[in-house]
Amino acid sequence: MKASEVRGHLDGLLLSVLESGPLHGYAVITAVQERSNGVLELRKGTIYPALNRLERLGLLDSTWESVGERRRRCYELTDAGRRSLDTERKVWREFTAAIGSVLEPAQPRTAT
Amino acid sequence: MSGLLPDPARVDPIEAHVAELAAVLRGTDRAKTRMLAELREGLLDAATELAPGRGPDDAAAREAVRLFGSVAELAPGFQHELTIVQARHTAGRILLLAPLLLPCWYVLAGAGPTAHRLPYAAQVLLAHLGGTAAATALAAAAFLAATGPLARRLATPDRLPTVVAWTGTTAAVALALSAFTLTIASLLTASWPLCALAGAVAIVFHAKIAASARACRECARLPATA
Repeated sequence: MKASEVRGHLDGLLLSVLESGPLHGYAVITAVQERSNGVLELRKGTIYPALNRLERLGLLDSTWESVGERRRRCYELTDAGRRSLDTERKVWREFTAAIGSVLEPAQPRTAT
Repeated sequence: MSGLLPDPARVDPIEAHVAELAAVLRGTDRAKTRMLAELREGLLDAATELAPGRGPDDAAAREAVRLFGSVAELAPGFQHELTIVQARHTAGRILLLAPLLLPCWYVLAGAGPTAHRLPYAAQVLLAHLGGTAAATALAAAAFLAATGPLARRLATPDRLPTVVAWTGTTAAVALALSAFTLTIASLLTASWPLCALAGAVAIVFHAKIAASARACRECARLPATA
């Protein structure tokens, strides 16, 4: 799946991989790719503005952490972020159910 | 002279890529430094992963840069967020500084006996400028709300940073006119030290808001995508 097709769902994907605990930017990227078995293609650099935006909206918190000589910014979900993720999931289920019911309609029962 | 230039073959591809991106981005130094530092760390992580066991080399660094996206691909997304941050910074300055014109004027208007108060024309002009400053502060507060938690529910219009930039310019002009009026008034009133002090404060506030509004306009002119 191309990056442009993923863009509309990026917020939900990022919030979802952070649900299990704090991650730094590159770990978020690899988590999205691993969970999708490499199907979702992301321009990796585009993740960073998205993480900053989610933090501005109060859906993520972040802190700098030192690992050896390197410093990494780790992100974690806020309570608002968890609520937003629940909403994203609900909207996604409704969306896929609606599309699925059109693409794969239930077989009409034959009259006996 | 050419001996002083770095050997192109020795330039770190990651540092060169980050520097190239930094050169095209505009925004507050803090936000820009932070976003580019995160990008650099991500590129180093990717290069390390691409060269297991041998450490990140030049080829791995180049591949990491390719996977992360070119400057042309990355810049609009980075700039969009930097523009919003710059606009919020400008709105914060307006909200903090512009309303201070009002107590400044009230103190002066009520200072001393009647004969020593500001000339009537100056009072009327300052009242209007104070009203303008208050209006810009309200607009700034609305912008801060619209780009903060409220943005979870409402889309942020693309032209909002431009509106903030011009709101800042309006506040800056109001403060400049106030400073000018207070300076003239200081020549006409007995309470001139207060007038002169208020004028100096207004000119400092003008400079701070005008600089931020100018930076905001520069950001808003650049191509950006959410």
